[in-house]
Amino acid sequence: MTSLLLDGASARRQRIASVIRRDFFALRRDPPRIIDMAFWPTAELVLWGLVSMYLQQNRVHIAVAMLLGAVLLWQVLHRAQGEVTFGFLFDVWSSNLLNVFVSPLSTLEYVAGLLLASVVKVTATIGVMSVLAFALYGFGVLTIGPGLVPFMAVLMVMGWALGVVAIGAVIRFGQSAQIVAFILVFVFQPFAAVFYPLSVLPAPAQAVAALVPASHVFEGMRGVLQGGGVSWGGLAVAALLDLAYVAASLGFLLYSLRYARQKGKLSRFGS
Amino acid sequence: MTVLEAVSLTKRFGPVTAVDGVSFSVGEGEIVGLLGPNGAGKTTTLHMVLGLTTPDAGTVRMFGRDLAKHRTWALSRVNFAASYVSLPWVLRVDELLDVFAHMYGLRNPRRQVAEVTELLDLGELRDRRYGRLSSGQQTRVQLAKALLNEPGLLVLDEPTANLDPDVGDRIRELLLREAHRTGRAMLITSHNMPEVERMCSRIHFVSGGQIVATGSAVELAGAYGVDDLEAVFLRVARG
Repeated sequence: MTSLLLDGASARRQRIASVIRRDFFALRRDPPRIIDMAFWPTAELVLWGLVSMYLQQNRVHIAVAMLLGAVLLWQVLHRAQGEVTFGFLFDVWSSNLLNVFVSPLSTLEYVAGLLLASVVKVTATIGVMSVLAFALYGFGVLTIGPGLVPFMAVLMVMGWALGVVAIGAVIRFGQSAQIVAFILVFVFQPFAAVFYPLSVLPAPAQAVAALVPASHVFEGMRGVLQGGGVSWGGLAVAALLDLAYVAASLGFLLYSLRYARQKGKLSRFGS
Repeated sequence: MTVLEAVSLTKRFGPVTAVDGVSFSVGEGEIVGLLGPNGAGKTTTLHMVLGLTTPDAGTVRMFGRDLAKHRTWALSRVNFAASYVSLPWVLRVDELLDVFAHMYGLRNPRRQVAEVTELLDLGELRDRRYGRLSSGQQTRVQLAKALLNEPGLLVLDEPTANLDPDVGDRIRELLLREAHRTGRAMLITSHNMPEVERMCSRIHFVSGGQIVATGSAVELAGAYGVDDLEAVFLRVARG
């Protein structure tokens, strides 16, 4: 029995790998999900690309770079949240969640597996979008400069945090709460100042936006595209906010699980 | 050796006491049945044993260790299948088994997958999607998943509920053969009285959240002065 099982870090790695393998097996067998990964980002890219072309023809300078940069970076946040949440909802929809929760996989290992799988999927989506942005509108994502990777990292981590909150909401409130998975990121969108500078927001909204990591990224991106350097101070603030978001989201997830176990709600995730 | 020891498990949902001070144990190689009418508290008890539901009072010890403190260690040595739990429909059988072999932290996932594939006669199904299998085939895949880690305790909640008598019988046969071969302990709930009579060496009747009778099928029938377990069930269920 003992020799059958790994232990310690090897077992943990193996268990996390199980979530990633599950995710990619499922993706391979589910063409609509692959289309979903590519279709919506591409649709947004085309739409905003056309808008920006129109603006540029009307002498609104750097409109293409501003808008397409924003669309690309927004997709990092949006897809990171979506991929994490859908990884979990896949288990809910297939009545597999009880199998997961009676396995030795810990909550943090499960979340780690979902996050790691999302890195690959988000990177693939952004890769496709970047090629299209260049091919269709001549916008190279590298124009964003040395801030690109940290910008994307901050947005991905914020997306993960929102994804974990959505998972916690479904566990805490039941399947009807899966609407949270679809709308949560859009609650933050106005405060993230994706397509406009923070200064256009009313003062109270600016105060809220200051607490949203993404707002520092999009403001920083606009600064770079307007010829300024990367605002490392803004990025540091965003990274600290990310840490707070991750801590709060994990706290909410653990609370939700404790609540669900206490109230017998996990049992209801059977078919 | 005691594989599972549940002591004074109690669970209340609002004003309803679903499980009220239930204690029982399962020894190595033993097949124990929990019987009772719908809503008696069997599934809640199983879910407390598996850590899905937190008891309001009482403890669960597995292989001598407290489940609450050694969850990962204990659950590596247990497995579970139930008629109300499914597996991801889009995945192929070999992919499913691969995923769970990793999830249970097996040292050699490929070998274990090959073993349960052979044991459950899934060779011809391994490249088929789970969602396209018949109920009987799906149950075999679920049992293969449940045997992947060669669990010291197998928990089965109505394992043959959706199966026709022929397939149900084959599944029972297989489980019994495995139990005898490996000395594996099992904890089973079922509404199929012949199934329980055939499989379980000890049966706990649960009613109103409490264990109201314990014994082998023969002992219980004798104690209630009836011919078989079904008559005992009706007596218990109807008070």
